[in-house]
Amino acid sequence: MTGLEELKTKILGALPELDVVIGWEQGYDALNATPLFIRKPEDVERLIIGPLCAHNLATYLPGLKDKKVGIVVKGCDSRAVIELLQEKLINKDNITIFGLKCDGVVNLNKIRKKIGDLGQIRKVVFDSGIITITAGETDHQLKFSEVRMDKCDTCKYPNALLFDHFIGTPDDRQNGIEPEHISDAEFEKMSLEDRFAFWKQEMSRCVRCYACRNACPMCVCRDHCVAVTRDPHWISQENDTADNWMFQMIHVMHLTGRCVECGECERACPMDIPLMLLRRQMNKGVRDVFEYEAGIDPQGKPPLLTFKVEEDNIPEREW
Amino acid sequence: MSEKKFLKNESVIPFIEGLAGGRKVLVPVCEGDAVIYRPYRKDCRLELTRMPTISPKDATFPRTETLMTFKQAPVAKTEGDGEGDSDAQPKLELTETLPEEKVVVFGSRPCGARGKSIFTRVYETEDVKDPYFIGRRDNTLFVSIACAAPETTCFCTSVGGGPADTTGSDVILIPVDGGYVAEAVTEHGAELLQSDLLTSGADKAGEAEAVIQKSMELLGDADDFSIAREKLIELFDNDEFWFDMSAKCISCGTCTYLCPTCYCFNITDETAGKSGKRIRTWDTCMSNMFTMEASGHNPRTSKANRLKNRVGHKFSYYPSLHDKVIACCGCGRCIKSCPAAVDIREIVKSAQEYEDVNE
Amino acid sequence: MPVYDGKELRIIGFLCNWCSYAGADTAGVGRFQQPTDLRIIKVPCSGRIDPLFILKAFQGGADGVLVSGCHPRDCHYAEGNYYARRRLELLKRFLPVTGIDPDRFEYTWVSASEAPRWQHVVQTFTDRIHKLGPSPLLAAPLTDAEMAKLQSQVEAGSGCGCHK
Repeated sequence: MTGLEELKTKILGALPELDVVIGWEQGYDALNATPLFIRKPEDVERLIIGPLCAHNLATYLPGLKDKKVGIVVKGCDSRAVIELLQEKLINKDNITIFGLKCDGVVNLNKIRKKIGDLGQIRKVVFDSGIITITAGETDHQLKFSEVRMDKCDTCKYPNALLFDHFIGTPDDRQNGIEPEHISDAEFEKMSLEDRFAFWKQEMSRCVRCYACRNACPMCVCRDHCVAVTRDPHWISQENDTADNWMFQMIHVMHLTGRCVECGECERACPMDIPLMLLRRQMNKGVRDVFEYEAGIDPQGKPPLLTFKVEEDNIPEREW
Repeated sequence: MSEKKFLKNESVIPFIEGLAGGRKVLVPVCEGDAVIYRPYRKDCRLELTRMPTISPKDATFPRTETLMTFKQAPVAKTEGDGEGDSDAQPKLELTETLPEEKVVVFGSRPCGARGKSIFTRVYETEDVKDPYFIGRRDNTLFVSIACAAPETTCFCTSVGGGPADTTGSDVILIPVDGGYVAEAVTEHGAELLQSDLLTSGADKAGEAEAVIQKSMELLGDADDFSIAREKLIELFDNDEFWFDMSAKCISCGTCTYLCPTCYCFNITDETAGKSGKRIRTWDTCMSNMFTMEASGHNPRTSKANRLKNRVGHKFSYYPSLHDKVIACCGCGRCIKSCPAAVDIREIVKSAQEYEDVNE
Repeated sequence: MPVYDGKELRIIGFLCNWCSYAGADTAGVGRFQQPTDLRIIKVPCSGRIDPLFILKAFQGGADGVLVSGCHPRDCHYAEGNYYARRRLELLKRFLPVTGIDPDRFEYTWVSASEAPRWQHVVQTFTDRIHKLGPSPLLAAPLTDAEMAKLQSQVEAGSGCGCHK
């Protein structure tokens, strides 16, 4: 992500017409960014872009439906905006998109695995594929490709797909991309019994804080989620494995054909449950059956909102 | 304080295993990248250097507490109609389920152990005594590890705690070269340290002192949050302020569920067929449902209202009611684990520094 | 009379009102012998069936779930079963991800007049579920063997690979 000055200029130019522009600023330490809501010209100074800007800001759009909103998006974020537009959950007339080309964003969990505790981060420098992190008194040099988010390993869409202003030059990078994330291939080798036990263990530590749901740009029901209604009583208040599992199934099912794989659910999860594994596997089914990818074409239609009388890839029932 | 003992690193596992005699031992283990408390198992991935992702609150105030179980007794058939007496109320058999299990939490941080001491004033007053919380608290011992490396999100010293604070702990372990200096805080704690695995630690007192001193230096100067009490009340009706502060909040419950001092709960009856249980579960003021009234009216419909409550409750309403005690232990989990990195310190400071431009 | 005397399993059936429920009724009136493991829930249309109904049944311990609606082109509401077909197909492909055997779930089309076909569907599905036996339970704690295996996978870096 380059072109911070260009972006700032464009935002300053558009700001008089807008209620707010959403971007990122430095968070509580050198390794953390946090969403920034720009309302006044002087707020623009705090704006940053780069590998720390993991948050998908499209999550905020449905909540600002009646406002004139500017939003800074990476490639994956723009897919969420497109999906929201497709489903008529936001109005394009109210939105100004500042599109970036993205070189990937960091996964803090991966960094923690490499260097240990991230409690005392003093300084972070990114330079040509190497990230230098000063933690406490020690400098650590890491290859960025080893600590970026999983989604970046397989990213086909580094450039914003929909924008009013594009910052910099679009990247035509198509090489060096893994066709499929490594964890999927390994997961697929597991037996059904092992998978069942695996998810039981993972779901047992879910605290049902609903961070995965609220961070998800496609979870637009917000305060009216079926997970918290008492009538119908989909899940109990009990925080046990079976109910946690059911909640995660609700999330996956409601994202079928809509999930843009931005990875916010997994990033938000304080318990580090591999939620993206569920979503990537579901999306694989969507691709196999409907040859469809969510959030690419603003005029497209999510596959579960339509049908064909003769389906191409669904075999006739045998009995 | 009692005498100082020394627990070698190699003796930590045998010590934990020794604790297990008659008690359930909860230890911080690494699962994925999260550090959570689990019952001790041989060969578990024990993690004692990182602050656990979730607080040890669950040991005394569980995510799900069964208050009682109930089942509908079979209706005795009366002669004649074969359908039972249709006017009779079905009989319910109720069973109280008070916690009796003895537990020891090994490896909590001082802030985490202190958490429950802060909200004890709600569950144990002259008039109200909550048998579930009190039962668990009295049955649970805390062996805490003092903080040698506080994080950028830590602010315990600003809210009355410290890296080696002993409130709520039974034993405090201070990490030094090769092991831990152990000190009993309570009588129960002293019993736990009656183990051959520990040697005298008198000669390491200075080293332990230096560890805490360094920790204090890293924490830096404490913030003064005392005027937040009045300032947050003054700002109560300032919608613009709270709208600004909550803009990036996504209204999930991570902050409250990981918090050692959040103590709000929900009570529901969960039934299956003709039996069920009444459970008390963690609730979160960040949820729309928290204040939903039976009529359908909701006084806190926006995330700005809810965030105002969380900050206000911890730094203003609670201290006003409870001898100025801030309902926060400064562990920083709500900042570190927040998906949007909402920083409660910044909100309180903004409130304290707020000046109305219109005045 | 139950075919599987004494060891009935729990199979949940979601049947549309207009075709399959009526077909099951026709089979009953015609005295077609069927195993009795199936518990039928009538819904207006297969398009009413949220895939979560099926997952909820599994969460509650169902050993098998059968969905049946009108044949494609014959939906009482013209297109409900077309939507159902898409959802149910994706669910069937997704089930193995959760570790639930996809054979525990089936969807099929049976019309009101197809009593013999209904008998065949129930018999075939019930046989299949009995071959699979009772469903693994989410509520059951992990056994020591399962825990040990999960741990060894983590240490070996195999398993899902997400937590390396």
